[in-house]
Amino acid sequence: MQQTSPLTRAARALAPLAWTGPAIVLIAVVVVWPVVAMIQSSFLKISRFGVVQGSNGTANYAKLFDEPDFPGVMARSVIWVVAVVAITILLSLALAQLFNQRFPGRRLARWAMIAPWAASVLMTAIIFKWMLDPEVGLLNMVRRDLGLIDALGGADADQLGQAATAMPWLIAVAVFVSLPFTTYALLAGLSTIPAEVYEAAKTDGASRLRTYWSITLPLLRPALTVATLINVMNVFNNFPIIWVMTHGQPGYSTATSTIFMFILKGSDIGESAAMSVVNFGMVIVLVAIFLKVSKWKNEVS
Amino acid sequence: MSKRFAGVVTLGVAAALALSACGGESGGGDGGGADKAAGGSVTLKLVAADYGDGPTADNSGEKFWKGVVDEFQAANSGIKVEVQVINWNDIDTQVATMVQNGQMPDILQTGDYSGFVKDGLLYKVDEVLSPNTQSDLLEKFAEFGKVDGTAYGIPFVSSARALFYNKDLFAKAGISEPPKTWDELKADAEKLKKAGVSQPFGLPLGQEEAQGESFLWFMGNGGGYKDASGQWAIDSPQNVETFTFLKELHAAGLTTPNPGTKDRKTVWEDFAAGKVGMVNGGPMSMPIFEKGGLTNYGVAAIPGKSGPLETTLGVEDWIMAFNKNGHQEEIKKFFDFFYSSSAAQKISDTYKLLPVTKSGIEKLSGDEKLKPFLDALPNATFYPFTDPKWSEVNTQIKQTIGGAVTGDPAKVLGAIQKVATAG
Repeated sequence: MQQTSPLTRAARALAPLAWTGPAIVLIAVVVVWPVVAMIQSSFLKISRFGVVQGSNGTANYAKLFDEPDFPGVMARSVIWVVAVVAITILLSLALAQLFNQRFPGRRLARWAMIAPWAASVLMTAIIFKWMLDPEVGLLNMVRRDLGLIDALGGADADQLGQAATAMPWLIAVAVFVSLPFTTYALLAGLSTIPAEVYEAAKTDGASRLRTYWSITLPLLRPALTVATLINVMNVFNNFPIIWVMTHGQPGYSTATSTIFMFILKGSDIGESAAMSVVNFGMVIVLVAIFLKVSKWKNEVS
Repeated sequence: MSKRFAGVVTLGVAAALALSACGGESGGGDGGGADKAAGGSVTLKLVAADYGDGPTADNSGEKFWKGVVDEFQAANSGIKVEVQVINWNDIDTQVATMVQNGQMPDILQTGDYSGFVKDGLLYKVDEVLSPNTQSDLLEKFAEFGKVDGTAYGIPFVSSARALFYNKDLFAKAGISEPPKTWDELKADAEKLKKAGVSQPFGLPLGQEEAQGESFLWFMGNGGGYKDASGQWAIDSPQNVETFTFLKELHAAGLTTPNPGTKDRKTVWEDFAAGKVGMVNGGPMSMPIFEKGGLTNYGVAAIPGKSGPLETTLGVEDWIMAFNKNGHQEEIKKFFDFFYSSSAAQKISDTYKLLPVTKSGIEKLSGDEKLKPFLDALPNATFYPFTDPKWSEVNTQIKQTIGGAVTGDPAKVLGAIQKVATAG
C-alpha cells in the first residue's frame, strides 16, 4: 500500500476527472461556449443574414445605447421582472399555505393548479389575446355586460392597444403562468417544516401571524430563494407572452429587453448581440442584488 | 450485461452505417451534373410562405406545394423536393436563423430577396431560369428582381390593392357611392359611425403589414418612401400631412382603435364580420371576407387626397435560389416546371393572387372579379425593395409607424427616415 509509484498516484489524483469530466465538458460546451460566442459576436459587424463582415469595435454598443427606445426598454424590463416576481411570490405563498391544509377536494385543487403550467405558454398567451379582442373578446363581452364599457370595438374595449392598459395584462398573464411552479416549490418547502416546531410555538402561545412570520417564513427561506431566483431569470427572459399579445407595440412601449433584442435581430445582428450581452449582464446583476438582499436578511435574523 | 452492451454496439454500428449511406446519397448531388449520372437522387429543400389559413386549412401552403411537388417528382424521378411552409409572421426570422446557421434552403419563396444578394447567397436568375420562362415574365415585375443590373429575384405572384366597402353598412348609413377623396372618406366615416359601425375605416398599422397600409396612404398625397430622385423621403411634408389626416380620423374615433397594434388579418376578419365599413384590401382578402359570411361588398379605387389613386400598390413576392448546396441544374428544372405548369393558375384560383407571367394574365382575363386588379397591375408602384436598406427600414416601419397616428407624425416619420439614411 505504502509503495505506490508516482504513476499510480497521478492516476489516483486524476481519477475524479473521470467523474467530473463529462459534466465539465457539458458545461463548457453548453454554457460557456455560447456565452463566449455571444460576447464575440457583439463586437462583430454582421450582415442581416449572419455573414460576418469583420470587426466592428464597440460600434454595436454605441448604436444600441444610442437607440432612442433603449432606456425605456431597460427600465420596463426591470419593472416587468420586479412586478411579476413580487406578485407571483406573494400569491404563491398564500396558495402554498392553502394547499398545505387538509380540505375536501384538495387533490383536485392541486391538480387544477398545474393547468397553467401544463399548457404551453404560447397557447396561454394566444388565448388571453383572444379573450381581450376588442370586437369579439370574451372578457370584453363580460365587461360590456357589467356596464364597464359602452360598446365593443372602440378604444375602451381595446386594452392591449395601449401600453398603460396592456402592461398590467401582460404582467397578469406572466404571473398566471409562473404561479404553478412557484407554488409547488413553496409547497415542497412547507412540507419540510417539522410539525414539532409548530407545536412548540403553540405551547408558547404564539399568535398565528407571529408563527408564520417567525417560523414558517424563515424555515421557508431556502425554497423561497430558489423559487425567486428561477423566477427572476425566467421572467426576465420571457418572450412569448409579450410577443404574442402585443409584439412590444404600440411602438416599443410594451417591449422588454428580450423583445427588443429579437426585433433588433431583424435589422442588425451585431446590435442584437450587444443587447444580449447587456441582457445577460442585467440578469447577473439582478440575481446578485437579490442574493445580497436575502443574505442580509439572513444575518439580521 | 455484456449481451446488452453488444446489442448497443450493434445498434450503434447499424445507425452509423445508415447515416453514412444517407450522406453518400446526398453527397452525390452536391457535385452537380457529373456525379449525378451515378444514379444518386438529389433532394431540394424548398421553404415557402403560407398564403393559406394555416397548416390545418384546406388551402394550406402544405397542400398546395404537395400538389406541385408530386407532379414535379413524377416527371423528374431523380429529384426529390422537401417542402417547409412557414407562416408570414415568422418566415423572415426563421429564414434568417437558417442562414445564420448555414442551413440554407435550395429554394426560398417569400416577400423579399434583396437582403441575400449582398452576401452573395443567391444564384443569378440567368443561371436557374431558361430564356423561355424569363421572357414570359412581366417586364416591369422582373425589373424589380435586379440589383445593380443583375437579376436575382424571380417574381412569384403579385397583388394589387383597392378599397373594399361593406354595401349593407353603406346603405344603412345612407351612402350611395364609395368615397373618392379624403374629405368624402371622412364624411362617409362619420355617417357610418352615426349608424353604429364600431370601425368605420379599418386601419391596420400593426406589425403585420404597416408598411403596405402606410404606402397606400402616402400615395394618396403624392408621397411615398422615396422621392422622384430615388432618395429616402419618409418624413416628407406630404407624408407628414398624410399621417396628420389619419391622426384626425383616429382621434374622431373613425378608425380601428389603436391602429399601431392591429394586424391586417384581424381587421379583415372584423370587416368580414360586418364591424368595419371600409378597408384597403386585395384579391387575396376576398376569400377571408367570404369565409366570414360577407358577400355584399364593393371594390373601388383607393381614395386619395383630391381624387382616386391612379396607381396602386403592386406587391410582388419572390422565389429565389440559394447557391450554397449546388443543385443548380435541379433548381432550374423545378423553376421551368413551375412556371409552365398549371401551378401559377392554381395559386390565383386558391389564394386570389395575381400572376406575374403574360401567359398567366391571359388565362385569367375572363374573371370579372379580378379584372379591376389585372388592369391596375401595369400602373403599380412598388416598395423600394431593391434598396439594401429596405429590410431594416421595413422592420422599423412595422414596429413604429403606427405611433404617428397617436403621437407626433413628423417625429415618428423622422425617426424612421433617420434609420433609412444612417450609415
